Amino acid sequence: MGYYDIDDILADAAKFPCRFNYAVPGLGYLEGNVGEEIKKNAKVELPLWLARILAIVGGDEDADPDAEGALPFVELLAPEILSSRVMNAIKSSPVALDVHSINAHFYALAVKWATLFDDRELVRVLNYMLLERTREIHNHAASGTLGGAPSTFMLTLDEFEKKLYRDTHSGCKETRRWIVRK
Amino acid sequence: MYGDLGSKLVLEAKRAQQLSQSSGSDQLPLYQDDLVRNILREIAHLKKNAEILKSQQELENFDNKVAKCQYFVTLLCMERNKRCLLAYQKLRSDALDAAAWNRNGLDTASSLSAAKDGSSNLSHHEQEYLKDYVQLITDMKSGDYTDIDLSGSLTPPSDVFIDVRVLKDAGEIQTEYGVFNLIKDSQFFVRQADVERLIQQGYLQKL
Repeated sequence: MGYYDIDDILADAAKFPCRFNYAVPGLGYLEGNVGEEIKKNAKVELPLWLARILAIVGGDEDADPDAEGALPFVELLAPEILSSRVMNAIKSSPVALDVHSINAHFYALAVKWATLFDDRELVRVLNYMLLERTREIHNHAASGTLGGAPSTFMLTLDEFEKKLYRDTHSGCKETRRWIVRK
Repeated sequence: MYGDLGSKLVLEAKRAQQLSQSSGSDQLPLYQDDLVRNILREIAHLKKNAEILKSQQELENFDNKVAKCQYFVTLLCMERNKRCLLAYQKLRSDALDAAAWNRNGLDTASSLSAAKDGSSNLSHHEQEYLKDYVQLITDMKSGDYTDIDLSGSLTPPSDVFIDVRVLKDAGEIQTEYGVFNLIKDSQFFVRQADVERLIQQGYLQKL
């Protein structure tokens, strides 16, 4: 998750639904109409790099938390990729889940979300999911060949899992080659 | 919206990364001059916006939450563009560094232009950078570590003598340890340390 990490930057571009807590003139371009004001309670899809900060700042530190001025600029709404439908699908069968079709950077986004909201339940589900799927990934990486026909499971990997698969695969392959040459 | 161009650039970087991973070569695709220029234009535009906002604040005593929000969004867009540009450039300079270590400075520091066939794909600044970096490597090798070939092969040597086959006709080549007459498809039984560099350059194939 470095500053220069390409995958992290791409994950940050994912759009999340947000609601504005204030009316802000001149920010209409976030909604698609340039030059106009953005209304209070307007629902906008913002990229994570913008929404993450705006969801934190804005409230006065010394203000009463219940007062009007204490709200941050935007409120992050629960995104589709972490909806209860997806959570249930993970809980029922992690291996059969098509992660890539949910989002190509599912893990990165889920980790960011869990960090932002201190979501222990989500972390628990992710841990379970990763453990189950890793086993399957290792099986594929240790046996299959990279050039062979891809199985359906291989098409469901997200970017992080792809990297995991690639590294495992090359590790197994190199070891095998070394043993044979000996 | 702002930042979309940056995402496009990073996608380009991602593609370059995957290309070098799958093919294993250190060829770099063409430098995205237009895209980078457009992003820089966008940043200049954002900067102008920020300055206008600032002067407005001073004039109308507009110092409230709303102005802060506008200012912040502008700032974040610039930050994002900066990150995209830097990540793209970092990826390329990493590839350049790798190329400088792997291919240049071999033997008696063969000429740079011949070794780097992707030269035209680099921007002017990258060419400068590559030249200076190669110079740095040369300086380091001619410093305290002259008895070790730092850019040599990282595969541990297993045999003292090896069989090699000549892949490319190169005529008579003088190495530090003696003269070889490299005729295509001839074979030699030589000390590995002598021909390491010729293997890296692609004249010989280890058997």
